[in-house]
Formats: sequence, structure tokens, C-alpha cells
Amino acid sequence: MARIHWRYGPPLYQPLIDILRLFTQRGVSHGRLFDLGMVLSLAGSLVVVLFLPFGGISPMSGSGGLLVVLYMMLLMPLGIALSGGEAANPNASIGISRKLILAMGYEVPLLLILLAVMTHYGSISIAEIVSAQRRTGASIASVPLVLSGIAYVLIMPAMLGVRPFEVVQAPQEISSGPMAEYGGAYLALATVQHALSAFIAISLFVNLLWGGASNPAVFFLKMLVVFVLVLFVNAAFPRLRVEQAVRYLWRWPSLIAFIGLILVVVVGR
Amino acid sequence: MNLELLLSVAFGGSLLTYVLGRISSRLRDGLAVLISLALVAMVASLYGRTLGGGSYASFLGVPLVLRVGALSWFFAIATAALGSLSVIFSLSYMKGRERTSFYYSMMLLVNAAMLGVVFSGDLLSFFIFWEVMSWSTFLLISYNRGPAVAAGLKYIVMSIIGSMAMLVGTLSLYAAYGTLDIAELTGLVAFASTGYQVFLLVIFGIAFGVKNAVMPLHTWLPDAYAEAPSPFTAVLSGMLTRMGVYGFLLIIFVIVGASRHLHAGSGVPTFNRVLAWLGAVTIVIPTFIAMLQNDAKKLLAWHGIGQGGYMIVGIAFGTSLGVAGGIFHTLNHAIYIVLLFMSVAAVQYRTGGERDLNSLGGLIKKMPIAFVGGLLGISGLIGVPLTNGFVSKWLIYKTLILGGSPFLAFAALIGTWGTILSVYKFLHNMFLGQLPEKYRDVQQSPASMKLPMIVLSSAILLFGVLPGLPLRVINRIIVSFGFESLDVSLWGIASETGALSTVNIFAALLVGCVLVWLVFRAGARVVPVGQEDSYAAGAAVPVDRYHYTVSYYAPLFRMIAPFLKDFCDTFYRWLAGWVGALCSALKRIYTGYVGDYAMYIVVFLAALIFVQIMWGPW
Repeated sequence: MARIHWRYGPPLYQPLIDILRLFTQRGVSHGRLFDLGMVLSLAGSLVVVLFLPFGGISPMSGSGGLLVVLYMMLLMPLGIALSGGEAANPNASIGISRKLILAMGYEVPLLLILLAVMTHYGSISIAEIVSAQRRTGASIASVPLVLSGIAYVLIMPAMLGVRPFEVVQAPQEISSGPMAEYGGAYLALATVQHALSAFIAISLFVNLLWGGASNPAVFFLKMLVVFVLVLFVNAAFPRLRVEQAVRYLWRWPSLIAFIGLILVVVVGR
Repeated sequence: MNLELLLSVAFGGSLLTYVLGRISSRLRDGLAVLISLALVAMVASLYGRTLGGGSYASFLGVPLVLRVGALSWFFAIATAALGSLSVIFSLSYMKGRERTSFYYSMMLLVNAAMLGVVFSGDLLSFFIFWEVMSWSTFLLISYNRGPAVAAGLKYIVMSIIGSMAMLVGTLSLYAAYGTLDIAELTGLVAFASTGYQVFLLVIFGIAFGVKNAVMPLHTWLPDAYAEAPSPFTAVLSGMLTRMGVYGFLLIIFVIVGASRHLHAGSGVPTFNRVLAWLGAVTIVIPTFIAMLQNDAKKLLAWHGIGQGGYMIVGIAFGTSLGVAGGIFHTLNHAIYIVLLFMSVAAVQYRTGGERDLNSLGGLIKKMPIAFVGGLLGISGLIGVPLTNGFVSKWLIYKTLILGGSPFLAFAALIGTWGTILSVYKFLHNMFLGQLPEKYRDVQQSPASMKLPMIVLSSAILLFGVLPGLPLRVINRIIVSFGFESLDVSLWGIASETGALSTVNIFAALLVGCVLVWLVFRAGARVVPVGQEDSYAAGAAVPVDRYHYTVSYYAPLFRMIAPFLKDFCDTFYRWLAGWVGALCSALKRIYTGYVGDYAMYIVVFLAALIFVQIMWGPW
């Protein structure tokens, strides 16, 4: 990040140190739901990670497939929303409302993309989609799914919540939104959760559209490439307003994803 | 247990409740609860039996028949169980109000009529019970007077249009085959021409579409739900509206038959395609309208319409997976929407009838059970994994995706996201955030409210983790329709194109929660603080109204509101105004004076005589 800006920054392992330090610090609690929401959110993300194949390793691929993943992904914002809601801090509430609106924004193209993928391969199981790509090559390089792939790249920064879609946290406007009331262990868990949700968004892309990988090392490398690309976007852009963000998401990525879905249906006939 | 006895208890109980109410209100309450519970037991004892009854009466030579099969039993048990919970809930909600005897009596009457509808073995008794149901519903919707009367009128006008359509269909069937017995019709209609089958599907579709509030026939619902007394709104949304689903199942799969339904109208838009798309529209638009509501009951009411769309899509698709999903969703929807309305009712009861989402807040600490009810209710409504709504929605999505309808699936999935936004607002504005000063002394919900809410909350989780319990019953319905059986186990569905195992998900989530909790506990100590002690970036925190509720989704609202006007309602209002003008024009002819009428008769006779003399047609 700092390297892109041509300035000095903290070392790469700084986030790890931060999390360890936060665990030793005192936090404040606003009630039982404040704790439970946080736990639920993080546990939800952990389960989703189990559902996603990580280069051949997929512990829970036989329990419901992509539809379950799609729904389990709900638990993350919902848990944070419940927890942040009990904080009785308007900044948190504003942040959550922005998060939900933004999610509404990127879910439209995301659902179109996922439906295109599921329709094309005729399966709702991620493992099957990955193994099908091993035979035919990565979906993003194949004719019917190329548009879906492009659309996914376009919405990736919004899914990760980085600039220009940093409307949820927006430290300068609403004091970090949902994070405002978290301190100590809460903040540590929230940070881990945030990292996991980024992991899930990228891993979904690599699995469904970039062919997955047969061993974890290659898979990790692919994820790293995507992540660095997103970091470049993050470093280069300023923040959009919520409306601008949603308008962007509903216009170009949705249009491309929609045409992509039509293409898949037409080619499939 | 025979059905005549069951229905006599149901209808007699309603009457007896009213009579007893004249004597003692305590006895009346007890009797109402007792009868509703007795009905549950009686229906439960019919489990797994198929009775085709002889006729219990006849009307103008048409024998009236009762019967019970897998489909009837499923709807009957849901009706009876939710009805009894709702009566129990009413005990404290209705305490101290006027005309309570009337209320209980009507409540039991609606219940009895619904049981009559599902147990009817012929279309005439079906129609009679249907009308009893509609009219007693009208009386209950209008119970609160004022705007409630207008809402009730809107309901009954739409309902009569539906009933008329049903009557036309019934009469045409009688004219064609000389019988109204459902079992006999099944064999006969199968050989009818395709055109006649489509006619039947459409005419009955209008009748049941009104009841199930399929767009564009939905306009009665939001007002009716909002204005009816809350415990009755629960029954109305949970079961009564879903009699439309029962009707659709009856006409599509029992009378016309599944294989024909799928190809009926062999032209380009087949009936089931049209119905599925109507369902999809019914999912998306009401869900987004719900997002903009500020009235707790109206918000839920629009979801009531939207979720009805899922059932219709599933049923219209007509595969065993889709129909199972549609029927299961009917049950699930009944459970969580009843719970949600109860939660709202509990809040109303303790806050003096407040249901405006902008003036509540922070009630989680005061009414924990109502909050848990609300939380599990919205989880079911969204379809969060491990709640019941998830399983049925999963079935429907899977049907749509694998059935090659990604656009329908998109409508269904995006509806879910709209649901999340609006129900989070619902929960947040009522229970989370800051507690306003005036609600500092709000009490917990009374026990008679807690009990139904706890029962329903556990049902949501139970059916979410072990969906096999209801799915086995549903499987029997599916088989009775002539579909192939589903491979149902206690905790999910096995199939070659992606299985579902809720127990695995449950275990994983449980382990995940425990792990995270342990890590969390291992961290430093946590200090509990009050609601005023929050971070405001250095600014002073104002006490009391520091809760972000008004225009919660303002940016989104500005974008989508212009597209979400209720065009249908506007159109019907215009139509109603036009009909009103027509009627007042007619009124000039029907003056009400006997002399005028006598003159009309004389003129008419004179005209007849004139015609006879001139052309002599008779």
C-alpha cells in the first residue's frame, strides 16, 4: 500500500501484531447480543471458508453447495449488524445501513454472475464446478463466461469494502461505522472477520471463474495476485458516495453480468 | 374420529363461546382455548389416514362430501395449531377491550371455516366454507372501526370478485359433468379439451390469486393486515391467506392434474410459465416496497405478499422438488410470520399500541422474549441457514436453477436481499439502538404471550435443523399428486445434483461459535457499559433520541422510490371511482319511488306488446 503511494509504511506483519495486542486490551460491551453477534459473524465466516475448496482441500463441499455458501455469507454482515445495532451508537447504525445498501448494490451483479456459472455447469456444487473447469479450462477464458468474469472483477473492490467503496467504514465521516464501539478483543475479532470476508470474496472468484487449483500453493498464489490488484485500485481511488457506488454497481457490472447470463442461456440452448 | 364431529365441535365451539361470553368472560376465555386445543388433538389423530366420506347433507340434489388426505391433513394441522396459539396469545392482548366475546367467537369461526375448506370433498361445500371464511374475516378486519372498516371493505370487495370467479368455474364444472365431487372430477377433467382446462385454471386462479395476494390482485392485503387486531393478523397472514395456496394445489394438481398443467395452453406462454412469472413479480416488487415502510405491521404485510410469490413460483414450476419447496414454504412462512406479528403485538401491547418504526427503539433489554421471537422470525423470513425458511427456499432456488430458469432464480434471490434490508430495519428500529426515555418502565411480555412465541421460535429452529420432520409429510402429498418421491432423510435431501445436509452445517456452525467464543474469552476482560456511554468522535452524546431510524435507507430510497408506486392500487381506485359514477347514474333510474317502478313495468310491457304486434316473434 505504502509502496504504491511512494512512501514508507509499516511492515507486512503489522496487522498480526495489532491483533495480538488488541487481545490483551480491555473492551467495552453493550450487552449479550453485542457479544453474540460478533461471535456469530466470525463463526459464520469460518464455516463459509470450510465450504470453499482451497486447492483440492474442501472439507464440506457435500453439504449444500453454492446456495448454502451464498446464504452463509449473510451471517457475516448480519452478525455485525446485530452486534453493532445493540451498541446504540448512531455512527454504527449509519455504517450498517450503508453496508446493507452497498451489499444490495453488489449482490445484483454477483447473483447474476453466480447464476450464470451455475447454469453453465448445471450444478450448484462448487467442487464439481472446479473439476469441470479442469477439463475445459478456466471459465473466465471461455466464451460464455468471459463477461461474468469481467463483471466479477469490476465488483471485487465493493465486495472487499475498499476504496472507492469504503463507504461502510469511512473513518473520516462516521468514525469507522460499525467498528465505532469495538475495542480490545472485539476489534481483534472484527478485524479477523473482515479479513476472512475478503478471503471468501477472492476465493469464490478463483474457484468459480479462474479454474481453482489442484494444490493449495497455486491456489494461494492466484489469490495473492487478485488481492494485489485490488490493493492497486484501493490505493488509486478516492471514496464514492453511497448513491454513486450503488449507481455504478447497478449500471455497468450489472449490465455486463446480465448480458453474460443471457449469453450463457443462449449458448446452453 | 370422523370429520362431521370435528367440524361440529369447531362451529359449535364458536357459537358456544359467544353465548358463554354473556355469562362470564373467564369461562369464555377458557372455553376458547380448550376448543382450539381440542381441534389440534382431533386433527392430529387423523394423521396418515385417508377418509373419503359419504355425503353428510345435500343441497339441491348435490351431495356434500367431506374427506381427508395427505394434503388436507397438512393444511388442517397447521391451521389448528396456529389458531390455538393465536387464541392463547389473544388472552392478554384482548383483555379489557370491548366486544371480546364477538372477537373470540369470530376467531373460532374463521378457524372452523378454514378446517371446513380443507376437509371439503366437493366444490360446493368448498365454496360455502370459503364464503363463511371470507365474511368472518371481514368482520374481524373491521373490528377496530375507523380506517379498519375501509380496509375491511377493500378486502371483501376483492374477495367477492374472487368468489364470483370461483362460482362461475364451479357452475361450469357442474354443467359439464353433473357432479362436484373432487375425486370424481379428477377422472373427468383429465379428458377435457385443453382449452377448457386452461379456462378452469384461469378462473380458479383468479379466485385463489386474490386470496393469496398474487400481483396484480394483492391490493387488499397491506391495509387489511395493518388494521386487523394483531393476533388475528397473525392468523390472517399465517394460514388464511395461504388457503389460496391450498386452492392452487387443489385445482392444479388434484383436479386438472400435474402433467396437463405443465402443458396447458400449448401456445408460447403456457399457464405455468405465466404463473411462475407472476410469482416472480410478486416476490420482487412487494419486497422492495416493504423496505420503504415505516409501519411495523405494513412492512410485514408487504413481506406476506412477497413470500407468497415464492410459494407460487415453486408450485407453478411443477417438479417434485419445486412443489415440495412451495408447500414447505407455506408452512414455514406461516410459522415465522405468525411469530413476527406476535412480536409486534407484544410490543404494541406494552407500549400503548405503538407500531411506528420511527418512535420505538432499544426494547431488547426490556422485552427479551419478544426480541428473540423477532430475531428468529426475521431469520426465518430471510432464510438464514438453520432456520426453517432456508430449507424451503433452498428447494425452490435449486428447482429454478437446475430447471433452466436463471432469471426466475435471480428474481427469487434478489427478493431475499431486499428482505434482509427491510427486516433488519424492522428489528433495528424496534429492538436495537437507544431506548427512548418514555419506554424506560416497559414491562416484559405477559406469560400468555411468551408461551406461543417460545413454541414458534423453537419450531423455526427445529424445522431448520431437522427439516425431515415436515418434509416426510410433504413427500406423501407429492406422491399423492403423482410425482416421484423425494429422497428425504431427517436432516436433509440427498440427490445427485447437490445434496443438502443441515446437520453438517449445524455442527460446523456450533463448533465455529464455540471456538470463537473460547478465543474471545481468552482475551482481556470486558466491561459492560450503558447505552449513553458510546463513542461520538469527541462530540457530546445527546440522551434519549440518539437513534438512527428515520429514512434508514435514504440513499437507496431516493433511487428506487419512483419505480415503486403501487400502480395496481391506483388503477383499482380509479376503477372503483368509475364504477361509483356508473352506479350513481343508475340511481337516477332506480329512484326508489314505487310509482316510477310501476311506470317502468308498464312501459316495458307496452314495449313488449308493441314488438309482438309489429313483428310477432312469439
